[in-house]
Amino acid sequence: MLNWIARTVGAAAAVLLLATACETPAPPPPEPESNVYAVPKTPDGDPDFNGIWQALGSAHWDLEDHAARQGPAPLLGALGAIPAGRSVVEDGTIPYQDWALAKRAENLADWVRLDPAVKCFMPGIPRATYMPFPFQFVQSTDVILAAYEFTSSTRMIYLDRPGTEAELPSWMGHSLGRFEGDQLVVEVTAQVPETWFDSSGNFHSEELKVVERYTRTGPDTLHYEATMEDPKVFTRPWKIAMPLYRRLEPGAQILEYKCIEFAEYATYGHLYPQDENE
Amino acid sequence: MTHRKKASRAFAAIGLAALTALATQASEAQGGEAEGATSTVPLKTSWDVPNLQGTWDFRTATRLNRPSQFKDKEFLTEEEVAEWEERVAEDHQAALERSAADEPSQGDVDGGYDFIFIDVGTKYEGTRRTSLIVDPPDGRMPARTRYSLMRAAENREDWEHRPITPADRPPATRCLVGFNSGPPMSSGAYNNNMRIVQSPGYVAILNEMVNDHRVIATNGGEHLSDNVRLWKGDSRGRWEGDTLVVETTNFTPHTSFNGSGPNMHLTERFTRMDVDTLRYEYTIDDPESFEAPWSTQQDMRRTDDEIYEYACHEGNRAMHLMLAGARKEEREGKPDGEGWLPTWYRGLPKKQDLLAAAEAAEEGEGGEGEE
Repeated sequence: MLNWIARTVGAAAAVLLLATACETPAPPPPEPESNVYAVPKTPDGDPDFNGIWQALGSAHWDLEDHAARQGPAPLLGALGAIPAGRSVVEDGTIPYQDWALAKRAENLADWVRLDPAVKCFMPGIPRATYMPFPFQFVQSTDVILAAYEFTSSTRMIYLDRPGTEAELPSWMGHSLGRFEGDQLVVEVTAQVPETWFDSSGNFHSEELKVVERYTRTGPDTLHYEATMEDPKVFTRPWKIAMPLYRRLEPGAQILEYKCIEFAEYATYGHLYPQDENE
Repeated sequence: MTHRKKASRAFAAIGLAALTALATQASEAQGGEAEGATSTVPLKTSWDVPNLQGTWDFRTATRLNRPSQFKDKEFLTEEEVAEWEERVAEDHQAALERSAADEPSQGDVDGGYDFIFIDVGTKYEGTRRTSLIVDPPDGRMPARTRYSLMRAAENREDWEHRPITPADRPPATRCLVGFNSGPPMSSGAYNNNMRIVQSPGYVAILNEMVNDHRVIATNGGEHLSDNVRLWKGDSRGRWEGDTLVVETTNFTPHTSFNGSGPNMHLTERFTRMDVDTLRYEYTIDDPESFEAPWSTQQDMRRTDDEIYEYACHEGNRAMHLMLAGARKEEREGKPDGEGWLPTWYRGLPKKQDLLAAAEAAEEGEGGEGEE
């Protein structure tokens, strides 16, 4: 009932506004300064993305809408289950081609064995951005070094070599950055096809191209968007979006999460002696 | 070296291993310039701190320890340097030819490396010093303590045996750390390069070896609490004039550099001498492991080469093969044996020698990083 009233009043107001707009010249646009964050600049005059950043949420488990579910480590009880989350994908779902949707389902059914991050492999882009670990942008004049805590992975975002191509594919890809106004735009190509987007089997091919957009929205927040294009796997480009937050606690720094030692059993356990397997 | 060679190496990343022994220290020295050359180029960042940025090559043909034939000689003459380099080049060429001829060698079996892959330094340091070690004055590492030698004996014991799990192999074989990326960085068998990127308040170092970063705050700050131990240690920086000084502590019990232990206090100094030269000096203070502190000096050279992604763990086929081989041997009832010790350790003291040396060695100070 209240909803109905709100809708009706809203609609009436809209009609009124429309009528007013038709009758009188458009009012001057609102002062943009009033609600637009003045982005700090680096000493070189570029928008400043320096800092230690991290995503919140459970996109690293599943990019799409998902309920909480039992995790693969029942021994960990309530701490080992997978938390619920809303989709970070624009329009809710990833536009897979039919074969790829079936493959995603296969991946999900066997994800503990297949998820490359379980083995502590470098997560690739965009997954590295929203793993539940911080990363640091060290922004210089011609390059931004991105240092991710998860498995100490690293990538260079080159600001000074537009149009170049990678000599070789790699796990973290070939990242070319540029500024569009106050936005940092990074095009990522040449990623190996072995990385996933999350722990729910969402995958891509070697043709993946990612365009990331980082926007400062406040002193301690970024808006992050990534558009994925991969004609072999998807029917059209698709986009994810989420905020990133600055790590503010005193002494915040990138520590080591050298997960190889935690992942050796998951990676090589089938080659341990039988009694070690039990 | 060509991009292509480096690229294929980066892509073919296989299980590496502590090649430090084989890896005699090296970089292409800065062609005979006098020590302490300074540049007229203002080498500051746009926020007015010394600009250390660039990609740096730390291969060198100069040994860490002064070779015994040089005894009390601190510097070589130009002729002697030329002679030394010529010999290194000849050895390198011979190794290349052997590799090209595809002669089987144990190194190709247990490491998968040949001299197409290996990329050691062939140029002597421009200072013409007979060792990278500048202190003590004899150019050699001080004696190791009993504790340090016992650790080495234990490691040797582990690595001589058939692995049950990856934890029985050296950390570099597991791709947890690089054998030359440190800290401190040291010229090794390959991937002897790193890139420095700076932002206000930070200096970041990306080593090609295991694709690992160190992000160092230049306003220092307190080290992490003693119970927090990191493979690469905890690095804190500060500027002393034009020199970046980085102090690193909090190493893990498995991290070791030439016999150092978890309580090593490492001080590195980075000074840009000119556009193409980055002087790199470090001091190791670890009374638990060495009878005295020791210090080195090396000049890194700027390179236009790329830092490639060295996906060591992702490509660690060697670990799969070693474990599968170990299980196969067990099934076949084969005896465990020294064949499991990587080739490059075989010239080093054996376990019984290490134990004998440990018996004779000084106890070492039990303190933590005290002077």
